[in-house]
Amino acid sequence: MNITLLTSEIAIICLSLLIIILDLLLPRFETRRSLGYLAAAGVAGVFAYTCTQYGVSATVYQGLFTLDSFALFFKQIFLLAILLTLLFSFDYVEGLAKYQGEFYALLLLAVAGMMIMASANDLLTVFIGTELMTVTFYILVGYQFNSSKSSEAGMKYMILGSVSSAVLLYGVSWVYGCTGSIVFEQIAKHANTSLGMLFGFGLIVAGLFFKMALIPFHMWAPEIYEGAPTPITAMLSMGSKVAGLAVLLRMVFIAFVPMQAYWGGIVSIIAAITMIGGTVIAMWQTNIKRMMAYSSITQAGYMIVGLLSADASGIKSVLFYAMLYMFANVGVFATIIAVKKHHGSNEIKDFSGLAQQSPLLAVVMTVSLLSMAGIPPMAGFAGKLYVFSTVIEKGYLWLGLLGFVMSMISVYYYLNVTKVIYMNEPCVQKEFIVSQPLRIAALISLLATLWIGIYPGPLAELANTAARSLSIL
Amino acid sequence: MDHFPLLTAIMLAPIIGALFLSFLPREADKIIKMVSALTMMVALGLVIYAYEMYDFNLGGMQFVESRAWIQDLGVSFILGVDGISLPMLLLTVLIGFSTVFASWNITKRSKEFFILLLILLAGVTGTFITQDLFIFLLFYEMVVIPIYIMVLIWGSSKRVSKEYSGMKLTIYLLLGSAFMLVGIIDLYLNAYPSGMRTFSMTALAQANQLGNLSEGFQIFTFFLLMIGFGSLLSMWPLHSWSPDGYAGAPTAVSMIHAGVLKKIGGYGLIRIGLLILPLGAKFWAPWIALLAVCNVLYAGFIALVQKDLKYVIGYSSVSHMGYVLIGFAALNGTGMNGAIGNMFAHGIMSALFFAMIGYVYEKTHTRYIPDLGGLAHQMPRVATGFMLAGMASLGLPGLIGFIPEFTIFVGAFREYPVYALLAISGIIFTALYILRVLANVLFGPRRTEFDGCADARGVELVPLIVLGSVLVVFGVFPQMLMGMVNSGVEPMVPFLTKLHAAPALLGGLFR
Amino acid sequence: MISLVHYLTVAAILFIIGVYGVLTKRNIVTILMSIELMLNAVNINLVAFSRFIQPEVLTGQVFSIFTITVAASEVAVGLALLFRVYHDYDTVHIDKLNRMRW
Repeated sequence: MNITLLTSEIAIICLSLLIIILDLLLPRFETRRSLGYLAAAGVAGVFAYTCTQYGVSATVYQGLFTLDSFALFFKQIFLLAILLTLLFSFDYVEGLAKYQGEFYALLLLAVAGMMIMASANDLLTVFIGTELMTVTFYILVGYQFNSSKSSEAGMKYMILGSVSSAVLLYGVSWVYGCTGSIVFEQIAKHANTSLGMLFGFGLIVAGLFFKMALIPFHMWAPEIYEGAPTPITAMLSMGSKVAGLAVLLRMVFIAFVPMQAYWGGIVSIIAAITMIGGTVIAMWQTNIKRMMAYSSITQAGYMIVGLLSADASGIKSVLFYAMLYMFANVGVFATIIAVKKHHGSNEIKDFSGLAQQSPLLAVVMTVSLLSMAGIPPMAGFAGKLYVFSTVIEKGYLWLGLLGFVMSMISVYYYLNVTKVIYMNEPCVQKEFIVSQPLRIAALISLLATLWIGIYPGPLAELANTAARSLSIL
Repeated sequence: MDHFPLLTAIMLAPIIGALFLSFLPREADKIIKMVSALTMMVALGLVIYAYEMYDFNLGGMQFVESRAWIQDLGVSFILGVDGISLPMLLLTVLIGFSTVFASWNITKRSKEFFILLLILLAGVTGTFITQDLFIFLLFYEMVVIPIYIMVLIWGSSKRVSKEYSGMKLTIYLLLGSAFMLVGIIDLYLNAYPSGMRTFSMTALAQANQLGNLSEGFQIFTFFLLMIGFGSLLSMWPLHSWSPDGYAGAPTAVSMIHAGVLKKIGGYGLIRIGLLILPLGAKFWAPWIALLAVCNVLYAGFIALVQKDLKYVIGYSSVSHMGYVLIGFAALNGTGMNGAIGNMFAHGIMSALFFAMIGYVYEKTHTRYIPDLGGLAHQMPRVATGFMLAGMASLGLPGLIGFIPEFTIFVGAFREYPVYALLAISGIIFTALYILRVLANVLFGPRRTEFDGCADARGVELVPLIVLGSVLVVFGVFPQMLMGMVNSGVEPMVPFLTKLHAAPALLGGLFR
Repeated sequence: MISLVHYLTVAAILFIIGVYGVLTKRNIVTILMSIELMLNAVNINLVAFSRFIQPEVLTGQVFSIFTITVAASEVAVGLALLFRVYHDYDTVHIDKLNRMRW
């Protein structure tokens, strides 16, 4: 049994525990920023370690947990996401009323959950990973102790999240009943299209769609995004969504191969509804976090489009998109945090005159938003090109057309933010402070977004390796 | 690659300039402008060098550079120019050079302005020199966002608010490009089987000769491209963004937009539409001709009753694009020559027009025609520019507009006599609205309220001199332009003749 | 003789009662209880399947132990959040949690 495959997960969990212990040992009035730096350094170390693991393909615990390039790719997305999120949220955490140290620890636990999800090769591990992630998020969403919005969001997320978990589990129990196994390869061996199996599969997929916030399973997203502390909103929209995607990909393409006959129609319709709905509703939002909630719903719609073409190129496109989506999100949320610190609220009008107060953040915000909209030369364009060219190849021309038209319409609300940033004069005349770590995170996201957009080759190759390691195609 | 990467240098010059600007302090107004001017001067010099060194007799793609870019998509970074793209490139840098000087008086947030301007110019330049569809798209949409921001900050809200016009402009063009994107992806997927896919325009153009693209497919895909490029070229009925957009935009953006950006539409129709999807082009040509006549007549008629200077020229440019379209739709060598020539000619004259309108507006603070009058007394130099642009616009022999328009009519008359006659009658409208504007704005009794307005002077004269002299020189020596264009069109002629002979699905419907 | 179908039926009924409770009840404590019902339906299903399909392997039963554990942690977090909500809103009525518009 090769326990070293679990090294990165174990390292992250140990790091989290270490932070809890250090938090107890630190004097009470000491700032917890040092713990944040420790977390960031640890995550960076683990990230560097994962880079050396590419090419591994092995399972541990009788196939319950697998490590391949596919899992690694997702783990790197999560690690990068948490690393950049940590960098831009030091200031935010210092503004929290209490328990600043645990905040970092819990964030790391959530990431450990996501990493387990990416490696999960059976339904039990999927369940454990999902719960580790979501239960931690329940706490983190309600972490702002001086805001009733935050506790409200936490409560609602907890109720809706556990209902969705229960639904997912009920589906798992049916799949187990019909196939007699919970390991993906075994399920695939015994898979049939009996009613119970379809029922179970449907419930599992519904549960995961909930985690990814696809319409019609999206109701939770706007409120929870608005109420949660901003770093958590960022991690929800990057981590929760992408982790759900990782599980969905592995499950659909390994365990539920016979179901793919039923898959195309449903997914194409859900993707279409999600793209249209998310785009249209986002236009009316005045709160930037709500807008980002709907925007991330739309983005999830684009991502599952790639699932329609059940081959390596489709998976590759999804992986590619997930990575660039993460970078774009970092840029946006870093800016939101900086503006929130300056103005104390999250309305779109607070961005007035950002171009004059902090040109760098203005550019980062604009580039990130346009990357989500898919405007070249930002990364989103290459991502959309990959995603839609694979489905158009499979004959979903209408979906491709719809996707591109919707992404151009979405430019409307993204540009409304840009308009406020560039056209309006600053409404509060005081110095705009951007802390150094936040600046670094924003700069990394900017450069990554532009680089992937102009020269997508290396990332595409990496995604291709990852997609092919899913070795079923 | 043993020779100097000329085209890369041309494309990179504005980008490097913009990068350099972003490190300058905000207050260094003069230096910022100097650097921008210098950048564009370098680009202009390089392009003129390329124009001179281009071997007419050899024809075809020259100065080709090629680098592998994205292996798995089949994208390679291919640059190259031929007789079609070189005039467009020259047009871009000429206008780009002039816009820097036409914007010399901008003091509000000038650093951002010139950075955006240079990015915009880099995008347009790249569009014309790339021979790969992916890179083409990259550059093509790179221009949209800077334009939006420029309209927002430096635009004017005279008749429509600048927020409205900027957003309309942007969304219209992006929606059009969504159709174009799908068309291009569709083309990419169908031209070659999986594994040897490519975005290279040359390779895609061969796909048709290999018989990889069925006629039905070509017709459908050309339609998607036609929506995309048509909305960029302001083809009727997708034109309504154009006058509103120009009205809201600052002078430099109007100049670039009317002068160069619209031409990407025509260039794309020829380079991608016609050369890659000839059967589709043949099917849609009669419809394009019909829409072109609508363009000419409808927009010409509307221009007659406009009271805002920018609206007159906005509609005028829509009308002129009709000529380009009908020359394209003729699908013969002559028409094509004229269409490309006219794109160049119209680019120069509309840019000059917008520059002059910019000066008038800057000095008199109005663009409302009934409020203006007798400006030739106070601003003789601006009036000269106005006259030059106006006369070229109505096709006065000896100026740049005459030969291309004449060529278009000769070419179009062979294919669509009725449409050609209707389009020629559009010249009457053109003459009417141009003369009306010139008479009302420039001539008439001296008005004392404008006595305080100074004439253009110093660097402000640069656009006038550069663009005006191009108007005259290329008008007097049309061979300089048409020879170049012809060397690009010449290789297409056998192809076009063959296309005419080919049986078509419904192509004969409108003959 | 009680067969697999009986167990599945009971589980299904429990699950539906749970869903009904979540959808109609307005008291957060009741909603948490309904969620517990749903999770217990899952447990019955898992154990029943395990017993009837593969009596020799205990996969389903082990799974149900995990479910119970995780459900406990979920409820613990839920109740903690409930305290906070009560502190902020002076109520445990879900309809009163409406400071953010839908």
